[in-house]
Amino acid sequence: MKTRIKELRARYDLTQEDLAKKIGVRRETILFIEKGKYNPSLKLAHDIAKALQTTIDELFMFEED
Amino acid sequence: MKDKIRIGIGIGIAAAVIGTLSFYVLNAGNLELSEILQIGVVLILVVSAAYILWDRIKNIKKGLPAQDERLKITNYKACYYGFIAAIWSAVGAPLLSGILFDYEMPGHYVTAVVVLGGGLTFIISYLYLAWKGN
Repeated sequence: MKTRIKELRARYDLTQEDLAKKIGVRRETILFIEKGKYNPSLKLAHDIAKALQTTIDELFMFEED
Repeated sequence: MKDKIRIGIGIGIAAAVIGTLSFYVLNAGNLELSEILQIGVVLILVVSAAYILWDRIKNIKKGLPAQDERLKITNYKACYYGFIAAIWSAVGAPLLSGILFDYEMPGHYVTAVVVLGGGLTFIISYLYLAWKGN
């Protein structure tokens, strides 16, 4: 799974810590989601999308195996 | 507030363990190898717990949560592995002791192996999964 979190963070000038504070998670969680090492729950994915003013579909891209 | 209470309890427990261990070591006299190994394992557990507490305090100071959904899942997985290790220790320790050393392990030694083995497995699993990212 790939994400556009880093790209959208840069657009809104947000650090990982800023985004983590906004949605109420740890900074490492944002880091691991960006690196594809952690798959967020639906609620967390929704909260990230809302914080970055986009949709879940726009934010996360699933690759076919 | 809940996070702060949990951290306070954690610090209290770690301090109590270190205090008890220090009292035991100072009054024990000559320690056998098995006792030194047990103390070593307990120290590893306390130091690892102290690291986890420090990490949580660091996050709270930054205004971030001490634990989020990812760490909760990490916690559950580590607990599962620790539980399995405890069960296998309870069965395997007296069995292996009898087969390899022809020594019937006393009950309190088996208890020590179960508790320390389960605890060590939990803490190693927790730290590894927290580092790896699930």
